[in-house]
Amino acid sequence: MAYSDKVVDHYNNPRNVGSFGKETPGVGTGLVGAPECGDVMKLQIRVNLDTGVIEDAKFKTFGCGSAIASSSLATEWLKGKTVDEAAKIKNTDIVNELRLPPVKIHCSVLAEDAIRAALADYRDRYADKLDGAGAPVASA
Amino acid sequence: MNHFEVFGLPRKLGIDTAELQRTFYELSRILHPDFHQGAPPAEQASALEASARLNAAYRTLRDPIARVEYLVRLEEGRATREGAAATREAPPELLAEMFEIQEALAEAKAGGLDADGRRRLAAERDRLLARHREEELRLAGPLSAAWDAGDAGERPRLLDACKRALATRAYLGTVVEDLTEALGESQEGHVTHRRH
Ligand code: FES
Repeated sequence: MAYSDKVVDHYNNPRNVGSFGKETPGVGTGLVGAPECGDVMKLQIRVNLDTGVIEDAKFKTFGCGSAIASSSLATEWLKGKTVDEAAKIKNTDIVNELRLPPVKIHCSVLAEDAIRAALADYRDRYADKLDGAGAPVASA
Repeated sequence: MNHFEVFGLPRKLGIDTAELQRTFYELSRILHPDFHQGAPPAEQASALEASARLNAAYRTLRDPIARVEYLVRLEEGRATREGAAATREAPPELLAEMFEIQEALAEAKAGGLDADGRRRLAAERDRLLARHREEELRLAGPLSAAWDAGDAGERPRLLDACKRALATRAYLGTVVEDLTEALGESQEGHVTHRRH
């Protein structure tokens, strides 16, 4: 199958591969899989607990080229966004950016799932420090 | 027309494959282009279409796992129409386990595989392959039977169980395939190659 240049680029030079240490503060982790093909993906965000901005993101994907490219792109997009802004990233954005063909749409869905799972995990872990929207509560 | 209807079968998972094959040959013969030479183009076209439908239905229904997969899709279509949310849940501990195995495999590959490492990977692969088979047996056996015997009230629970077993099988299949590939023994036929 012909991959777009952007997929090939992300596949050959994946950005932000890796994971954060267990003790790193502000981390949310999403681990998801695609039952269609059995591929698995881990995506992590590291949020600045004072500003609520995602400062760093990492991923590890054991899957097809499109899944690797989708998660690599997702980590690039996540950096610099607030948790709320990050929640608006849609798999269709990824499909458009990478020009994924219909059979590879589930790979982008996997990346969206991973983002959501990472955000949910972050909110969960730091629930006591956050207001409803996921931003840090200003300490008076 | 769905695959079951093509064969005039009820929407059940217990199918006599020998019987299915007989019907398939019979219908194929009737639909064969040779029989429709000289017929009006519309009739030829519809025979061709029916024969494509028949082939697709046979391919799916003769395989007990593909059969469950298909039934789940059919039922999901129905569930979505009826407003139930489609879940794509996998047991989280399974995902974590698969991820760990993949990570370990990547490390082992990066470090170069010595005889000891290969033995470990092969043992792991065999262990996971056994679980893969187990899921298939469960799907084709007890789960299929339970579905056929269950009443409408039990359907959602059984559908969920089937989906979980299918997902588990998919994840196991993928790591087995990746381990096998890393060991350099491509064993066609275990699991389908789905990576592009
Ligand atoms: S083929 Fe499954 S994630 Fe791409």
